[in-house]
Amino acid sequence: MVDPIYLIVIALATAFALGLFRKAPSLLPYGLTLAALAVMTVISGSWAYGILSGSLEGTDIFTAGFTPPVSINLYMGSLEAVLLLLVNLTALMTALVLRKEVKDTSVYMLMLLLVFVMGLNGVIMTRDLFNLFVFIEIVSIASAGLIALRSNLEQLGAGFKFVIAGALTSGFMLIGIIFTYYTTGSLNMDVIASQMSPALAATGYTGLFLIFIGMIMELKPFPVNGWGLDTYEASVPAVSALVAAGTTSAMFYAFLKTSYMSGGLFVQAAAVIGGMTFIGMNVLALQQDKSRRLLGYSSIAQIGLAVLAYALVALYRIENGEFIVFALILTHALAKALLFWLAGIVGKDSIHDWGVIKKKMILIAPFAVAVSALLGLPPFPSFFAKWDLVMGLAARGGMVWIILILSGSLLEAVYLMRWFGNAFKDSFNEEDTLDWRFGTVLPVFFNMTVLLALGYLSASQSSFSMGFNWILLGAVAVLMVLDFLPGIIKNLLLMGAIGYYGYGFVMAAESYRSVFAWIFALGALITLLPGFGVKGKRMGFYPSAALMFAGLIGLIEAVDFMGFFLSWEIMTLGSYFLILRGKDSKPHALSYMLFSLGGAYLLMTGFAMTYAGTGSIALGALVKAAIIPHSGIIFALLAVGFMTKMASAGLHIWLPGAHAEAETDVSPMVSGILLKAGVFGLLMTAISMGEQSIGPVSLPYVLSWVAVITALVANYMAAMQEDAKRLLAYSSIGQMGYALFGISLMSHLGWLSALVISIVHFIYKVTLFLAIGSVAKRTGTRNMYQMGGLITKMPFTFFSVLICIIALSGIPPLAGFSGKWIVYNAVLEKRWMLQGAVAGAAGIIAFLYLFRLIFAIFLGQLKDNHRKVKEAPFFLILPQALLLGLVMFFSFLPGSLLRPVGEILEEFTTAGALEWQGNMAISDYGYWNGVAVMWVFMALFAVFFLILTINGRRAQWIKQFNIVFAAERPARPETTHFSYNFFAPVRKALGFLEYPFTTNFWNRVSDFLHAVAGFCRRIYTGNGQTYLLQMVIFVVLSYMLTKGGF
Amino acid sequence: MDGFSYNKILFAALTIFFTINYGLILQGIIGKIYARVGRRIGIRLFQPYFNIIRQWATRSAISHGVMYYLGPVFRFTGGAGILIFTPLILDAPLFNSFTYAGDVVLVSYFIFLGTLGMALGGGEAGHPYSAIAVTRGLAQTAAFEISLMLAIYSIAVQYNTISITEIIRAQQGGVLNWTLFTNPIATAAAMLAFLGSMMRSPFDVVLAPQEIPVGPPTEYQSQFLAMLMTNRTIFPVAKTVLYVNLFFGGVALYDSYLLTFVVFFLKTFFVYLWSVFVGVSFPRFRVDQSIRFFIKWPLLIGVIAVVAANIRY
Repeated sequence: MVDPIYLIVIALATAFALGLFRKAPSLLPYGLTLAALAVMTVISGSWAYGILSGSLEGTDIFTAGFTPPVSINLYMGSLEAVLLLLVNLTALMTALVLRKEVKDTSVYMLMLLLVFVMGLNGVIMTRDLFNLFVFIEIVSIASAGLIALRSNLEQLGAGFKFVIAGALTSGFMLIGIIFTYYTTGSLNMDVIASQMSPALAATGYTGLFLIFIGMIMELKPFPVNGWGLDTYEASVPAVSALVAAGTTSAMFYAFLKTSYMSGGLFVQAAAVIGGMTFIGMNVLALQQDKSRRLLGYSSIAQIGLAVLAYALVALYRIENGEFIVFALILTHALAKALLFWLAGIVGKDSIHDWGVIKKKMILIAPFAVAVSALLGLPPFPSFFAKWDLVMGLAARGGMVWIILILSGSLLEAVYLMRWFGNAFKDSFNEEDTLDWRFGTVLPVFFNMTVLLALGYLSASQSSFSMGFNWILLGAVAVLMVLDFLPGIIKNLLLMGAIGYYGYGFVMAAESYRSVFAWIFALGALITLLPGFGVKGKRMGFYPSAALMFAGLIGLIEAVDFMGFFLSWEIMTLGSYFLILRGKDSKPHALSYMLFSLGGAYLLMTGFAMTYAGTGSIALGALVKAAIIPHSGIIFALLAVGFMTKMASAGLHIWLPGAHAEAETDVSPMVSGILLKAGVFGLLMTAISMGEQSIGPVSLPYVLSWVAVITALVANYMAAMQEDAKRLLAYSSIGQMGYALFGISLMSHLGWLSALVISIVHFIYKVTLFLAIGSVAKRTGTRNMYQMGGLITKMPFTFFSVLICIIALSGIPPLAGFSGKWIVYNAVLEKRWMLQGAVAGAAGIIAFLYLFRLIFAIFLGQLKDNHRKVKEAPFFLILPQALLLGLVMFFSFLPGSLLRPVGEILEEFTTAGALEWQGNMAISDYGYWNGVAVMWVFMALFAVFFLILTINGRRAQWIKQFNIVFAAERPARPETTHFSYNFFAPVRKALGFLEYPFTTNFWNRVSDFLHAVAGFCRRIYTGNGQTYLLQMVIFVVLSYMLTKGGF
Repeated sequence: MDGFSYNKILFAALTIFFTINYGLILQGIIGKIYARVGRRIGIRLFQPYFNIIRQWATRSAISHGVMYYLGPVFRFTGGAGILIFTPLILDAPLFNSFTYAGDVVLVSYFIFLGTLGMALGGGEAGHPYSAIAVTRGLAQTAAFEISLMLAIYSIAVQYNTISITEIIRAQQGGVLNWTLFTNPIATAAAMLAFLGSMMRSPFDVVLAPQEIPVGPPTEYQSQFLAMLMTNRTIFPVAKTVLYVNLFFGGVALYDSYLLTFVVFFLKTFFVYLWSVFVGVSFPRFRVDQSIRFFIKWPLLIGVIAVVAANIRY
């Protein structure tokens, strides 16, 4: 094996050799640099492989043939090897990207680059304090040079501030090293660490502190990091990539080494500083719209998180700590380098100009991967690291830190997702170009692949996992790779995969899981059908849909918290990408993502607390969690988490926009199917944990009121919409309110109603969204007042909507009534009549919007510009027809639905279960024979129809507009169709319900955070002197706080 | 089908026939009362018979489309359905033909079937007034149904059942066993809601029958209108019977058929008359006013009824 010392030798030698060339660079020095970096990569790679595979062991390298303390020694262990590989590889890629810059500047750039990389290698490997100092100095000087290379004023300034701040930092460090040498008599970190004792820590405190604070300052902690931010912004993006990935990782590792050396003397301070940095930088980034500065903020925040993670691992003795810390660092380095390179390709600094990235749609993939990885979404290493960290913290009582970490992550999601959304949705100038070259593109895709591979590898590293079904994600990956195929083929593949896998999946699902398994699998197949009608490749659609369905399937299959949570996040991610595809869905997709993430973090906390209380990571532990302390809080966390997905009142503001703006066949997916994931989760919680309370407050009781208010207000809001899809979206909120109400009843009948509503809502909401979607497609508008009279043009769609609104409103004899009837009985059983009455009132308000929907679109007068509208295309009708068949089946035989579902629930509670006598369902209070009702209806209908037809066979059929009203013939259909502000009197009486309490509340939260960010940003004056002063104050304050005085 | 026998079809037909006749006579009487209050002579007692026969016999008819055509069918199906799902006279097989199909929840939701069908039918006719009336009607219905629902919840708790037959049975054995006396608050809430559902003043802006007739029936003529009018005769009776059953002891089967029918007529007539009394005495509300009315007092009474029932039973 090659001696690691050659890493330094090669870099140094090549850098010197480059001096022999002329200043204007030619291909040769560039090639030489690439070769040197490649060799270094290979050396570190072979070490990494050797050590990780166990064929090599960590080795000390002694320089000059002496052992410490006489000589300087380096160390090559597994961590070093991995970090070196990372740094050298990033450097190699950066060199590739820099091809054009090298041409434009001089050979000095290559020299600086090599020296810089050499410094980083040294920082990582050295075990000698002074040597560390020297390497850090080399790194600072080289990076200052690299920053200033473009030599405009801004960069020179940034470089200069960087040098000055670096000098101050090294000053502190140097003094610290001197003090430490004075007290310990050694410069070797291992020697000092072995000597470390409380007495030594006391006498050598100041020295150790100065080293610590120097190292911390190298990591640019909040708020004393203005100089560091400027460097990210000012330098060439490729160099920033190397700084973000290489320097931060190396410096972080150096920080770890010095921290081990001092025996973890300052972990508490590190935790505070790390936490402050993580939150502070993420808040500040909210106001930022320059992409590179944004990335700078994010980098510093991520390092803050890593420092925090390290400190917490040490403080709370969390197992698997090395994995946690290094997964965070590696993910950050890879993702951040990727994003900086991407910034180089895009060449636009403002995040509002990133729309140009769509010139090469394929670049969206690495962008999405990097953003997801930074946010700690699955399946990336950071996800598993965060999971382990949170689990470990919960088990050791670190709840405060969990809250801090998760809130920071949420803030981070705000600006990263906003940026991504902008890039995906914003229009761009056709003249703008991308820097699309082999050298720039290869690194981006390379890092993307590495991130995905590392994600797969790190899943097995988590100590709180019982394994995950990777087949699902594998299928997604295959679709991603095959994205160049025509849409129809991908659709066939996806449907085939879901059909093939889904059969076994549905059969294997047990208990109430099987109900949701049916909804998810059948729903997937049916909602994918319209895809056949879409021409072209539909890039990105099928992988996203697959991702969402993989998540949904994973939810059902999950056996442990991790599997559940991972699937939950995957589902969210997939649906986010799907929603984002809608035409005007940018802000709605963002709020969907943020609410989902917020909800998910609550779930994570709830799961972590369950683990802490029960010591089990299996989902079944929720049953045990019913009797542990804080069980009420766990229930509340999980309930609110799931209710975010169900869009209960207060957490609903994302839904109307997201569902309405989504594409025609995406709306039914997210509305008809995805919402049921929330129902599933909440039902699981309710069944497992039973009735919980916080203090004297019964949680199901609170839920019941939230539920009925959700139903009431959402149904009212639906009635007030002019946009047909928004109407349906509000209707979904209302329906999920009923489901929530059913769950909150905590009884057999209540849960039965929740399940039945989930099933029938799936059926009719998918149908309605498809029907209304096809109307919107044909007429080119979603505003109902612009439609009218379409019954003659789209008769099938009308029929479909008619059946669905009867079913949705719960009018017998169709299937929707069963849910209503069960709820009545359940309410009486529970004696929650007030809530029941509100729910009932909501049900009647539902008639308002349902009538409006069908009347305004299909009845009344046809508009002149719609005279040539055609019936919906076949592939939109087919799924509707299938679902209508299902509605009719359940309507004719309601027992076929209620009986099996009821039997499932009898496993949990039999009290109040329905008794069946033939087709008659008997409850404790009443009875209902759905079959008899259906036959009576049909018989009466047939008889009266015959009477009318025999009697009225002479009827003259006339055209739509052949009418007279107010004793005149109306001139134009537009003035004759009553639709706009349909329920004006209701609005006059109940308009107060429309006051946007929730929206205003969340807007204020957002405004507040942005205002805080705007205010705090003032510390970054851009003045180097101010920065220095801030640093000195910071050091003094830290010293006082860690030591408790002077 | 369980509980089904073929003679039930005959019974159901007879029930409908009986009610149509009763409804027509009732319409005549009420029309007469209305006129006399206004110091007019009014229609002949059997005028409703002539009206309906005339409409059925009209030769020319116009249809605006399929939904328009089916509207009256839906409407009549809804009306007749409620009638045969509701026990008219306790334990009389003739008047209990299909009561086994469901309880009070079924009946109260089945009401909407006809309303919806008619609204859709009228909608296809393409006149804006029809839709305006429907919006008014729906809005008002949503408002008064809440207090009715609360009242029904209250007596459901009181009698521990939502089966109409069982509720009637629980009220037998004397006038003081009626819900009117055992649960007056719930009865009050329900009777206020009753006013809203009867399309009479002060809640008749839905149809505004006197000056600008609006609403789906206005769009219809000839046998379509005839079918709606036929429904109009049975529908108020069916609703009134429901209220009699729930709050006024229902109608038991006495030894003497005559007595049974007399009790039936008296109870339904007087309950029906309640809406007439109020109707002739009060001027009309606008829709937003009637919504505000219903979400104030009737709602409050309903809430009290439920809370009281919850405490007492």
